[in-house]
Amino acid sequence: MNQYFYIDSEGKQKGTFSPESLKNEAIKRETLVWTQGMEQWVRADEVPELQFIFSDAPGATYTQAVPPSAGATFTHGNAAVQPMPKTYMMESILATILPFILCGCIFSLLGIVGIVNASKVEQLYRSGAYAEAEEASRQAKLWAKVAMWIGIIGAILTILLIVGIIMFVGFAGIGTALSAA
Amino acid sequence: MQKKVWIGALGILFVAPIVLYFFFDPKQNEIFPRCLFLSLTGYECPGCGSQRAIHDLLHLRILSAFHENALFVILIPYIALGIYLEFFGGKKRFPKLLPLFFGKWAAVLILLLILLFWVGRNVVF
Repeated sequence: MNQYFYIDSEGKQKGTFSPESLKNEAIKRETLVWTQGMEQWVRADEVPELQFIFSDAPGATYTQAVPPSAGATFTHGNAAVQPMPKTYMMESILATILPFILCGCIFSLLGIVGIVNASKVEQLYRSGAYAEAEEASRQAKLWAKVAMWIGIIGAILTILLIVGIIMFVGFAGIGTALSAA
Repeated sequence: MQKKVWIGALGILFVAPIVLYFFFDPKQNEIFPRCLFLSLTGYECPGCGSQRAIHDLLHLRILSAFHENALFVILIPYIALGIYLEFFGGKKRFPKLLPLFFGKWAAVLILLLILLFWVGRNVVF
Protein backbone atom coordinates (compact mmCIF):
# COMPACT_ATOMS: atom_id res chain seq x y z
CA MET A 1 0.00 0.00 0.00
CA ASN A 2 1.41 3.38 -1.02
CA GLN A 3 1.90 6.40 1.22
CA TYR A 4 0.49 9.61 -0.27
CA PHE A 5 1.21 13.32 -0.06
CA TYR A 6 -1.54 15.75 -0.99
CA ILE A 7 -1.84 19.52 -1.50
CA ASP A 8 -4.55 21.10 0.63
CA SER A 9 -6.84 23.98 -0.30
CA GLU A 10 -4.23 26.51 0.91
CA GLY A 11 -1.57 25.04 -1.33
CA LYS A 12 0.29 23.38 1.54
CA GLN A 13 1.71 19.94 1.17
CA LYS A 14 0.49 17.35 3.68
CA GLY A 15 1.66 13.83 4.21
CA THR A 16 2.22 11.06 4.33
CA PHE A 17 -1.08 9.18 4.53
CA SER A 18 -2.14 5.67 3.67
CA PRO A 19 -5.18 5.50 1.34
CA GLU A 20 -7.33 4.57 4.36
CA SER A 21 -6.29 7.57 6.46
CA LEU A 22 -6.48 9.81 3.40
CA LYS A 23 -10.22 9.20 3.46
CA ASN A 24 -10.42 11.11 6.76
CA GLU A 25 -8.67 14.15 5.28
CA ALA A 26 -10.53 16.87 3.37
CA ILE A 27 -9.79 15.32 0.01
CA LYS A 28 -11.79 16.29 -3.07
CA ARG A 29 -11.79 14.69 -6.48
CA GLU A 30 -9.55 17.43 -7.86
CA THR A 31 -7.11 17.45 -4.93
CA LEU A 32 -3.58 16.81 -6.16
CA VAL A 33 -1.87 13.78 -4.70
CA TRP A 34 1.52 12.21 -5.14
CA THR A 35 3.19 8.97 -4.12
CA GLN A 36 6.49 7.20 -4.79
CA GLY A 37 6.85 6.27 -8.45
CA MET A 38 4.64 9.01 -9.84
CA GLU A 39 6.24 11.48 -12.19
CA GLN A 40 3.97 14.34 -11.18
CA TRP A 41 1.06 15.32 -8.96
CA VAL A 42 -2.25 13.93 -10.21
CA ARG A 43 -5.90 14.43 -9.32
CA ALA A 44 -6.97 12.13 -6.54
CA ASP A 45 -9.86 10.71 -8.59
CA GLU A 46 -7.38 9.54 -11.22
CA VAL A 47 -5.54 7.24 -8.86
CA PRO A 48 -7.08 3.76 -8.89
CA GLU A 49 -6.04 3.06 -5.32
CA LEU A 50 -7.93 6.15 -4.11
CA GLN A 51 -11.13 5.61 -6.12
CA PHE A 52 -12.95 4.20 -3.12
CA ILE A 53 -12.78 7.57 -1.32
CA PHE A 54 -15.13 9.11 -3.87
CA SER A 55 -17.70 6.35 -4.17
CA ASP A 56 -20.51 5.68 -1.75
CA ALA A 57 -20.20 1.98 -2.32
CA PRO A 58 -16.59 1.10 -1.57
CA GLY A 59 -15.16 -1.51 -3.82
CA ALA A 60 -17.71 -1.06 -6.61
CA THR A 61 -15.64 1.39 -8.63
CA TYR A 62 -12.42 -0.02 -7.36
CA THR A 63 -12.96 -3.27 -9.19
CA GLN A 64 -13.67 -1.46 -12.45
CA ALA A 65 -10.72 0.87 -12.06
CA VAL A 66 -7.96 0.73 -14.61
CA PRO A 67 -4.98 -1.32 -13.54
CA PRO A 68 -2.17 0.71 -11.95
CA SER A 69 0.11 -0.08 -14.84
CA ALA A 70 -2.06 1.96 -17.24
CA GLY A 71 0.03 4.79 -18.54
CA ALA A 72 -2.96 7.12 -18.64
CA THR A 73 -2.94 7.42 -14.85
CA PHE A 74 0.50 8.91 -14.65
CA THR A 75 0.58 11.04 -17.78
CA HIS A 76 -2.26 13.39 -17.01
CA GLY A 77 -2.29 16.48 -19.19
CA ASN A 78 0.58 17.16 -21.55
CA ALA A 79 3.41 17.45 -19.02
CA ALA A 80 4.86 13.96 -18.87
CA VAL A 81 7.54 14.79 -16.29
CA GLN A 82 7.12 17.07 -13.30
CA PRO A 83 9.35 20.12 -13.81
CA MET A 84 12.08 20.76 -11.28
CA PRO A 85 10.95 23.26 -8.65
CA LYS A 86 12.70 26.63 -8.76
CA THR A 87 15.93 26.43 -6.77
CA TYR A 88 16.20 30.14 -5.81
CA MET A 89 19.98 29.70 -5.98
CA MET A 90 20.51 33.04 -7.76
CA GLU A 91 18.41 34.93 -5.20
CA SER A 92 20.16 33.14 -2.33
CA ILE A 93 23.64 33.94 -3.66
CA LEU A 94 22.74 37.61 -4.05
CA ALA A 95 21.16 37.66 -0.59
CA THR A 96 24.48 36.30 0.71
CA ILE A 97 26.98 38.53 -1.05
CA LEU A 98 25.07 41.80 -0.71
CA PRO A 99 25.31 41.92 3.11
CA PHE A 100 28.96 40.84 2.88
CA ILE A 101 29.96 43.73 0.66
CA LEU A 102 27.82 46.21 2.61
CA CYS A 103 29.32 45.55 6.04
CA GLY A 104 26.38 43.50 7.27
CA CYS A 105 28.13 40.13 7.46
CA ILE A 106 25.69 38.74 10.01
CA PHE A 107 22.76 38.90 7.57
CA SER A 108 24.70 36.78 5.09
CA LEU A 109 23.83 33.81 7.28
CA LEU A 110 20.22 34.05 6.06
CA GLY A 111 21.43 33.85 2.48
CA ILE A 112 23.65 30.87 3.30
CA VAL A 113 20.63 28.99 4.71
CA GLY A 114 18.97 29.79 1.37
CA ILE A 115 21.96 28.44 -0.57
CA VAL A 116 21.93 25.19 1.40
CA ASN A 117 18.23 24.69 0.66
CA ALA A 118 18.66 25.71 -2.97
CA SER A 119 21.35 23.08 -3.50
CA LYS A 120 19.10 20.50 -1.85
CA VAL A 121 16.33 21.16 -4.37
CA GLU A 122 18.28 19.84 -7.35
CA GLN A 123 19.76 16.93 -5.43
CA LEU A 124 16.35 15.76 -4.16
CA TYR A 125 14.78 16.26 -7.58
CA ARG A 126 17.43 14.14 -9.28
CA SER A 127 16.94 11.35 -6.74
CA GLY A 128 13.21 11.38 -7.44
CA ALA A 129 12.06 12.84 -4.13
CA TYR A 130 9.80 15.43 -5.78
CA ALA A 131 7.77 16.32 -2.71
CA GLU A 132 10.91 16.93 -0.65
CA ALA A 133 12.38 18.98 -3.49
CA GLU A 134 9.25 21.17 -3.44
CA GLU A 135 9.68 21.62 0.30
CA ALA A 136 13.37 22.63 -0.05
CA SER A 137 12.37 25.07 -2.80
CA ARG A 138 9.83 26.67 -0.47
CA GLN A 139 12.44 26.96 2.28
CA ALA A 140 14.98 28.54 -0.07
CA LYS A 141 12.34 31.04 -1.24
CA LEU A 142 11.46 31.90 2.35
CA TRP A 143 15.06 32.61 3.41
CA ALA A 144 15.87 34.57 0.27
CA LYS A 145 12.74 36.67 0.87
CA VAL A 146 13.56 37.30 4.54
CA ALA A 147 17.10 38.35 3.60
CA MET A 148 15.79 40.60 0.84
CA TRP A 149 13.33 42.43 3.10
CA ILE A 150 15.94 42.88 5.83
CA GLY A 151 18.23 44.32 3.15
CA ILE A 152 15.57 46.73 1.86
CA ILE A 153 14.59 47.86 5.37
CA GLY A 154 18.26 48.25 6.26
CA ALA A 155 18.88 50.38 3.17
CA ILE A 156 15.87 52.61 3.94
CA LEU A 157 16.96 53.04 7.57
CA THR A 158 20.52 53.91 6.48
CA ILE A 159 19.25 56.53 4.02
CA LEU A 160 16.91 57.99 6.64
CA LEU A 161 19.77 58.08 9.14
CA ILE A 162 22.06 59.92 6.71
CA VAL A 163 19.30 62.35 5.70
CA GLY A 164 18.53 62.90 9.39
CA ILE A 165 22.18 63.71 10.13
CA ILE A 166 22.31 66.11 7.19
CA MET A 167 19.19 67.88 8.51
CA PHE A 168 20.72 67.95 11.97
CA VAL A 169 24.02 69.36 10.79
CA GLY A 170 22.06 71.90 8.81
CA PHE A 171 22.69 73.75 5.60
CA ALA A 172 25.89 75.30 6.85
CA GLY A 173 27.25 71.78 7.39
CA ILE A 174 26.37 70.80 3.83
CA GLY A 175 28.16 73.89 2.58
CA THR A 176 31.40 72.96 4.30
CA ALA A 177 31.01 69.33 3.28
CA LEU A 178 30.56 70.31 -0.36
CA SER A 179 33.54 72.62 -0.35
CA ALA A 180 35.61 69.90 1.31
CA ALA A 181 34.61 67.25 -1.25
CA MET B 1 -1.65 53.26 -9.69
CA GLN B 2 -0.15 50.90 -7.15
CA LYS B 3 2.49 49.87 -9.64
CA LYS B 4 3.49 53.50 -10.10
CA VAL B 5 3.92 53.92 -6.35
CA TRP B 6 6.17 50.85 -6.23
CA ILE B 7 8.27 52.03 -9.15
CA GLY B 8 8.57 55.45 -7.54
CA ALA B 9 9.62 53.98 -4.19
CA LEU B 10 12.20 51.74 -5.84
CA GLY B 11 13.46 54.67 -7.89
CA ILE B 12 14.02 56.79 -4.80
CA LEU B 13 15.70 53.82 -3.11
CA PHE B 14 18.18 53.58 -5.99
CA VAL B 15 18.66 57.22 -6.84
CA ALA B 16 18.94 58.67 -3.33
CA PRO B 17 22.11 56.72 -2.40
CA ILE B 18 23.67 57.45 -5.81
CA VAL B 19 23.15 61.21 -5.36
CA LEU B 20 24.38 60.96 -1.77
CA TYR B 21 27.51 58.98 -2.61
CA PHE B 22 28.27 61.16 -5.61
CA PHE B 23 28.26 64.47 -3.75
CA PHE B 24 29.66 63.36 -0.39
CA ASP B 25 33.01 61.66 0.03
CA PRO B 26 32.81 59.03 2.79
CA LYS B 27 36.50 59.65 3.48
CA GLN B 28 35.87 63.24 4.56
CA ASN B 29 32.39 63.18 6.01
CA GLU B 30 31.20 61.83 9.30
CA ILE B 31 27.65 61.32 8.12
CA PHE B 32 28.16 57.83 6.71
CA PRO B 33 27.59 54.78 8.90
CA ARG B 34 30.71 53.02 10.11
CA CYS B 35 31.25 49.27 9.92
CA LEU B 36 30.19 47.64 13.16
CA PHE B 37 32.64 44.76 12.74
CA LEU B 38 35.58 47.14 12.25
CA SER B 39 34.61 49.25 15.26
CA LEU B 40 34.25 46.19 17.48
CA THR B 41 37.23 44.08 16.42
CA GLY B 42 39.63 46.45 14.67
CA TYR B 43 39.65 44.10 11.68
CA GLU B 44 38.14 44.99 8.32
CA CYS B 45 35.12 43.01 7.17
CA PRO B 46 34.67 41.98 3.50
CA GLY B 47 32.51 45.05 2.92
CA CYS B 48 34.70 47.72 4.46
CA GLY B 49 35.61 50.37 1.93
CA SER B 50 32.60 49.75 -0.28
CA GLN B 51 31.13 53.18 0.48
CA ARG B 52 34.43 54.81 -0.55
CA ALA B 53 34.49 52.50 -3.58
CA ILE B 54 30.99 53.62 -4.59
CA HIS B 55 32.11 57.25 -4.37
CA ASP B 56 35.17 56.51 -6.48
CA LEU B 57 33.21 54.52 -9.06
CA LEU B 58 30.65 57.32 -9.42
CA HIS B 59 33.58 59.60 -10.22
CA LEU B 60 34.95 56.97 -12.63
CA ARG B 61 38.10 56.33 -10.58
CA ILE B 62 38.10 52.58 -11.14
CA LEU B 63 41.63 51.93 -9.88
CA SER B 64 41.09 53.88 -6.71
CA ALA B 65 37.79 52.02 -6.11
CA PHE B 66 39.66 48.74 -6.66
CA HIS B 67 42.11 49.82 -4.01
CA GLU B 68 39.37 50.62 -1.48
CA ASN B 69 37.54 47.30 -1.88
CA ALA B 70 38.55 44.99 -4.71
CA LEU B 71 35.90 42.40 -3.91
CA PHE B 72 33.12 44.98 -4.20
CA VAL B 73 34.29 46.13 -7.61
CA ILE B 74 34.60 42.54 -8.84
CA LEU B 75 31.18 41.51 -7.55
CA ILE B 76 29.22 44.41 -9.09
CA PRO B 77 29.30 42.91 -12.63
CA TYR B 78 28.48 39.50 -11.13
CA ILE B 79 25.41 40.88 -9.34
CA ALA B 80 24.36 42.73 -12.48
CA LEU B 81 24.71 39.49 -14.46
CA GLY B 82 22.49 37.64 -11.98
CA ILE B 83 19.77 40.29 -12.06
CA TYR B 84 19.88 40.41 -15.87
CA LEU B 85 19.67 36.62 -16.21
CA GLU B 86 16.81 36.24 -13.75
CA PHE B 87 14.64 39.31 -14.25
CA PHE B 88 15.43 40.75 -17.69
CA GLY B 89 15.09 37.74 -19.95
CA GLY B 90 18.72 36.67 -19.84
CA LYS B 91 17.99 33.08 -18.88
CA LYS B 92 15.96 32.53 -22.03
CA ARG B 93 18.61 34.04 -24.27
CA PHE B 94 21.55 32.35 -22.53
CA PRO B 95 20.08 29.26 -20.86
CA LYS B 96 23.50 27.86 -19.94
CA LEU B 97 24.78 30.86 -17.99
CA LEU B 98 22.45 30.68 -14.99
CA PRO B 99 23.40 27.15 -13.88
CA LEU B 100 27.06 27.91 -14.60
CA PHE B 101 27.37 31.18 -12.69
CA PHE B 102 24.61 30.63 -10.12
CA GLY B 103 24.78 26.91 -9.41
CA LYS B 104 25.86 25.04 -6.31
CA TRP B 105 29.58 25.17 -7.08
CA ALA B 106 29.43 28.83 -7.97
CA ALA B 107 27.93 29.49 -4.54
CA VAL B 108 30.73 27.54 -2.83
CA LEU B 109 33.37 29.38 -4.88
CA ILE B 110 31.90 32.78 -4.07
CA LEU B 111 31.80 31.99 -0.35
CA LEU B 112 35.42 30.81 -0.47
CA LEU B 113 36.42 33.96 -2.35
CA ILE B 114 34.73 36.17 0.27
CA LEU B 115 36.41 34.27 3.14
CA LEU B 116 39.84 34.46 1.45
CA PHE B 117 39.39 38.18 0.84
CA TRP B 118 38.27 38.67 4.44
CA VAL B 119 41.36 36.96 5.87
CA GLY B 120 43.69 38.24 3.17
CA ARG B 121 42.94 41.93 3.50
CA ASN B 122 43.61 41.82 7.22
CA VAL B 123 46.80 39.75 6.99
CA VAL B 124 48.46 41.20 3.89
CA PHE B 125 47.53 44.87 3.89
